[in-house]
Amino acid sequence: MSSERRRLWSRVALAGPVVFVCAALVMCGGALWLPKGPAQIDNVVLPIVLFPAIWAGLFFYACLDRRLGRAWGVVSALALAHAALIAAHLLQPGAFA
Amino acid sequence: MIRLSQERAKTLLAIHGWSAVFLGLLLYAVILTGVASVFATEIGDWSSPLPARVEDPFPPGTDGMIRGLAETVDPAFHEELFFFPRAGNRLYAFFHAHETGEDGTPRERGVAAEFDPSSGAMIKRVEGTGDDIEAQDDANALAHFMVDLHVRLHLPHPWGLLLTGVLGLAMLVAAVTGFVVHRHLIRELFTLRRRGDRLLTARDTHVIAGTWNLPFAFVLAFTGSYFSFGSAFGIPAMAMVAFGGDQERMIETVIGNPPATDETPAVMGDLDAMIADARERSGAQVGFVQVQHWGRADALVTMFMDYREGKLLGPNYVYGGANGGFRYTKPSLGLTDSTGSALFSLMSPLHFGNFAGVFSKAVWFALGFAGAYVSITGLLLWTTRRQAQRGWRHLAAATHAVGYGLPLGLVLAAWAYFGGRALGFDVNTAMMSTFLMTLAASCAVAWRVEALATARRGLLGATGLALIALPVLRMTSGGPGWADAFGTGLQTLVAFDIVVVLGGLFCLWTLRRVPQPATAPLAADDELDEAART
Repeated sequence: MSSERRRLWSRVALAGPVVFVCAALVMCGGALWLPKGPAQIDNVVLPIVLFPAIWAGLFFYACLDRRLGRAWGVVSALALAHAALIAAHLLQPGAFA
Repeated sequence: MIRLSQERAKTLLAIHGWSAVFLGLLLYAVILTGVASVFATEIGDWSSPLPARVEDPFPPGTDGMIRGLAETVDPAFHEELFFFPRAGNRLYAFFHAHETGEDGTPRERGVAAEFDPSSGAMIKRVEGTGDDIEAQDDANALAHFMVDLHVRLHLPHPWGLLLTGVLGLAMLVAAVTGFVVHRHLIRELFTLRRRGDRLLTARDTHVIAGTWNLPFAFVLAFTGSYFSFGSAFGIPAMAMVAFGGDQERMIETVIGNPPATDETPAVMGDLDAMIADARERSGAQVGFVQVQHWGRADALVTMFMDYREGKLLGPNYVYGGANGGFRYTKPSLGLTDSTGSALFSLMSPLHFGNFAGVFSKAVWFALGFAGAYVSITGLLLWTTRRQAQRGWRHLAAATHAVGYGLPLGLVLAAWAYFGGRALGFDVNTAMMSTFLMTLAASCAVAWRVEALATARRGLLGATGLALIALPVLRMTSGGPGWADAFGTGLQTLVAFDIVVVLGGLFCLWTLRRVPQPATAPLAADDELDEAART
């Protein structure tokens, strides 16, 4: 496979499944760091309502960043940070009390 | 004009084209059925009217109907009650309890009944899960068929919702990239070259419809993908992270009404008085009523009001169920105003276009129709340009089969509904089998007929004739004729019949157009490519 073709498939993988998983993790993780707001619900409601915007932002960034490695780095870092946040919350005793 | 580097413009153009090629046909199906679903309420009223027009689905006496039903229902189902108007303004009430289904998703089980609000008579009573009850709901079946096709393409939960969610994201991408790749936006809003190259005219029509439609397409795509992903995956995933997987608790928390605290039996307050009070407070009509814990001291009655004139949102009022006293006004979510609740509340009116009655629905219908037109003409332009190549010829045939076969399938599903109901068949099975057979026949026509233009003429002509004959079938299968409709105040039935016939005549009128040549010049798409280069 030529390097051009490899780059194309790498970008397709990043902008497709990887960005989707990252957007899902950002949505779920958002519940843990977004302010709750006056009704105590914004941290849960806003990430669900804004999921299409989170996904679209990440998708266009992954498609348009000229440096593919950097795009992988940014998206992966965002996904891993939120995954770690979610894991830390789930492992915390009495997290859902 | 939006300035982009040549490389980025090319990338966006490629994303615009290929996202349409891969998902365009499914997207077209979702948009077209969405266009029909804008008038789902009216389709229900038209297909299953009550014997006489019902002015008020919550008349004085609603309390008696609901109370009478409650006495015959297992108290286990008193956990929650919904009542709201459905096809023909029937008053539909559903006493139910919550349980977890075999697939682990929450569901409702209980007793549902339909009333004729004019007489207070119970028309139908059904028991089972929410899905069981819906499957036996003949009055709303035609509207539900269209809506279900739009919402989840009749695929099982959650796969259908996930697919339509992905389609919504694809539409979002097409809208954003369309905005960027059409670099001369203002000029393109008004450019239609009628003389000369027919493909160029077709390309201009696609661009004009698409350009005018861009903001609306963006709104629909955003709200549509939110609705699909929100219920299929957003709520369960969020419940997993923030509520240990307890979706019920998450919904209770987000909605904001406090949970049960007092199980002491209590006589329910007068629902008629609560409805009258809510109308007086809001100046709006009641849209939907929820009662939590019927017959208990901690019962709560929440009235969700329709949109007031000039407003995008309706108020919600909460009453103490046991004494009927007004408690508080609440936003859709939570107990006080919040950004989350405001954004959540905006999603429905923006997606359904139902905030200003028939007028806003007509606008949403027209814009949605333009969206369906853009998606199908985009595919036709793409495949016409490449139809000399073997692989693309199949996509051209598929585009014709779905593009012209889907409307025919929807109209014939309506035929199956009226026919099946008159003959005593299960209307859901009749509609689904007719719809699938029509799609299969359309595919056969598109692939077997030598010239795709002939397939187009055949399918479009059949759709036109089927639409024109539909009101006749409605009347001959037990629906009221025009004289009866006028006599009983059901003039909207006649209006809908006329709209259906006009739709059929429009299909036949479009047949007068000469189809595009089989080997079309490449000018149209080349021009689009040129837009990316300049």
